[in-house]
Amino acid sequence: MELQLQHLSKHYGTKCAVDNVSTTLTPGVYGLLGANGAGKTTLMRMICGVLKPTSGRICLNRKPIEGLGESYYVHLGYMPQDFGFYPDFTAREFMLYMAAVKGLDKKEATTRTGELLKLVNLHEVADKKIKSFSGGMKQRLGIAQAELNAPDILILDEPTAGLDPKERVRFRNLISDFAKDKIVILSTHIVSDVSYIADTILMMKDGTFLLQEPMSTVTDGINGKVWELLVNEREAAEYSNRFSVVNLHRENGKVRLRMIQDTSPAADAITVPPSLEDLFLYHFGEESSAERSE
Amino acid sequence: MLIKYEFLKILRKKSTRIVMTVSLLVTAFLFGLPVMQFQTYSQEGVIKGLEGIAYEKEQAADYSVPLTNAYITETIGEVQKLFENPDNVGYDGNEKFLIDNAYWDGIAPRENLLNIIAENYADPNESVGYNALPDLDISEGTDFYGARQKKIEKLLNASSRKLSEEQKAYWRDRNGKVDEPFTNGYYEGWKIIISSFELLMFALLAVCIVIAPVFSGEYQAGTDAVILSAKYGKTKLTTAKIIASYLFGALALTLHVVVALGLPLAAFGFDGWDLPLQIAGTTIPYPFTFLQSVLVNLGVVYLVLFAMIGLTLLLSAKMKSPYFVLIVLVPVLFISMFLSPNGTTGAYNLTLFLLPYRSTMPEIGKYISYQFGGLVLDAFTMRAVLYAVLTAVMLPLARLGFKKHQVV
Repeated sequence: MELQLQHLSKHYGTKCAVDNVSTTLTPGVYGLLGANGAGKTTLMRMICGVLKPTSGRICLNRKPIEGLGESYYVHLGYMPQDFGFYPDFTAREFMLYMAAVKGLDKKEATTRTGELLKLVNLHEVADKKIKSFSGGMKQRLGIAQAELNAPDILILDEPTAGLDPKERVRFRNLISDFAKDKIVILSTHIVSDVSYIADTILMMKDGTFLLQEPMSTVTDGINGKVWELLVNEREAAEYSNRFSVVNLHRENGKVRLRMIQDTSPAADAITVPPSLEDLFLYHFGEESSAERSE
Repeated sequence: MLIKYEFLKILRKKSTRIVMTVSLLVTAFLFGLPVMQFQTYSQEGVIKGLEGIAYEKEQAADYSVPLTNAYITETIGEVQKLFENPDNVGYDGNEKFLIDNAYWDGIAPRENLLNIIAENYADPNESVGYNALPDLDISEGTDFYGARQKKIEKLLNASSRKLSEEQKAYWRDRNGKVDEPFTNGYYEGWKIIISSFELLMFALLAVCIVIAPVFSGEYQAGTDAVILSAKYGKTKLTTAKIIASYLFGALALTLHVVVALGLPLAAFGFDGWDLPLQIAGTTIPYPFTFLQSVLVNLGVVYLVLFAMIGLTLLLSAKMKSPYFVLIVLVPVLFISMFLSPNGTTGAYNLTLFLLPYRSTMPEIGKYISYQFGGLVLDAFTMRAVLYAVLTAVMLPLARLGFKKHQVV
């Protein structure tokens, strides 16, 4: 299984949402990171065949997907960002409906629906109407429908948005369960979500891939650029004005600062191993600060 | 399976239930109104409602006979005789009329029939009543059906109509197929139905409101991305949505038709179903009974509905919100309600008679015809063809609209 994106671009008038993106995806979990408006959702919609690229093409095993028709969609499971449900359907009816749209026969649809609702812990409310569900329950139903046809390509757009920490952990585990032998593209601007489960990081900015690296080496580029320093309150304010402070932690009347800086910000600053979040902030800086609070 | 779920999607919505309930109540009220308001008169005064209906039916029973020339001559003679006695005649300064027992015994029980007979001998566009009958010369009998033919010829040759020779020939042929002699009888229920068909437009509007979200509702709710990226999202699902919409539309309209026809027929009875339309107007060119006429027009109403469903689905596939769909659709449905015909020919009139609201009206006496080369079609046929073609054109476009929809 190989999914190729070849010089993929999408323009809306003069605005370029995705700009000449190329990559080849093989089974594994891809964390698609980027600030809001980076082009992640547009890219995913094009991969899912619901948005036509302005130029470039997408190939599955070297065949352009527009020529594959239904036989492409059988490989696909998609959970879009903020997608709606049918509030008057029960969870089971929604799953059976989606199974029918995905071409599963009645018996298979019933079996898969039962299995998946149990897996996402919705089996006890399977016959309750979706309008009574919480955000987290809807998200779980969303991933369950994406997995109905046991897809080879699973595309999840901001699946953990709006979930509390406990729900996010549960969700990450679910995705890990589903990810085996699949191409999983997980888009998020919540860095910690992908740092646990992604094999490869795709970082997008202004419609292009800023980097495509395996998770194990993705932070190598900023090795030696992340510093920690223990200072008093007054100095902390000064450092915050002068340097890119990514974290501030108060300890016994002192403040431990974490900074990303090419050179040492102070004589007593020590380098620490960089995290994925450091990398994200290194590239996105101010534009991501608001999102980090999520 | 997909059709079942798409049908369920339509039915489960609270808005569907509300719109359908309101629409059925409106239809029941509008078609029940003639029953509630019905009143007739006897020498003793007004008789209302079901009692009035029973009284009229009883009176009409004596005149449910074939309208042979001999019978017409005899009837005209009876009226003329009543007018010969000055004690029977009143005068309002404009026209003479019968009074007291002469009216209540000799005219009232068969006034409709007498008016129809008098109209048959009058010029087109001239409105006369039974008091025109004394002017007729029946010394050598009367040729009621010959007079009908003459009146039809005058209608066809009226300069204002500008009918072509082919159209005239078409209408002569249609009239030639009308069976003679006509049989008179009671047909009040059917008369009300035929004159109220356009009230079914509320049912059509209700159906369009309910199915407006079939495609655009998916865009609005954000479910489009999920279903369009699934195996049958752009193929079988679209077909299922269309079939479910038609299934709902047909069932909803049938429910309204049952109410609309059921109320007048329950009150006035089925009487008259097999009588010819011509007893309601002798120049009506269609060789149909009342029942046939209602069925033919119902067929046209269903085809109008199917085309409007097609248009609704097309708009729904192209627009992001069901509200936008309705903003376009409502004027299309009702524009002709506010336009008046200024004749029966001419591009304006011919177009007007084909618009949705007008197309639900049978216009059985109007001689509306459409000519394409040597081919002449009456209003029923033209409407049926037009709306069938519109349906056939709009459905593939709706399918394509959804298939090509871009999730932006």
